[in-house]
Amino acid sequence: MNAGPYSDEKVQKFIEEEFIPLKSQCFFDKRTDLMKEFDITWTPTLLIHDSNGKEHYRFVGFVPVDDFLAHLKFGKGMIFFNHYRYAEAIDQFNAVIEQHPDTGVAPQAIYYHGVAGYLKTHDGKELRRVYDTLTLKYPQSEWTRRSQPYAQITP
Amino acid sequence: MGEIKWERDFSKTIEKAKEMGKPIYHDFWFDG
Repeated sequence: MNAGPYSDEKVQKFIEEEFIPLKSQCFFDKRTDLMKEFDITWTPTLLIHDSNGKEHYRFVGFVPVDDFLAHLKFGKGMIFFNHYRYAEAIDQFNAVIEQHPDTGVAPQAIYYHGVAGYLKTHDGKELRRVYDTLTLKYPQSEWTRRSQPYAQITP
Repeated sequence: MGEIKWERDFSKTIEKAKEMGKPIYHDFWFDG
């Protein structure tokens, strides 16, 4: 049964097209091997693995459709990022920034977009742009505070 | 689109993911 975000056609389409979808049932009175392997202590816990099964991102709890899609796209981006595929990571982070600007993960996407840009080009302006963008758009975000050291970089 | 077609076995899902070159979206859920 597809309840919650899974009843949304955009979510269904994105998951079917971009991922292999997997469900694992949890039993808290008798934890499963997968619960132990991935340290699952609350549900829903939602993981993004690469095609070898390595976890690259997780989020916990029910979230609205817009946030849900943003997490999925950000998680895909983290797979590329962790595999040093910065151009593809930037594309995914851009999708979050442009298509889901009001979601909780959007400031994190801006941060990683800039870091991936810096690692791709070694141009410090990428990091300064992170600080400028976050300060302007998300002044209350923790990711804005994390970007504070980049304020010292000449724009 | 209808319903999402879920896999239920982690090992088989990895094999399928490798074949198709796709990442895995993994929902740990509780029926309670």
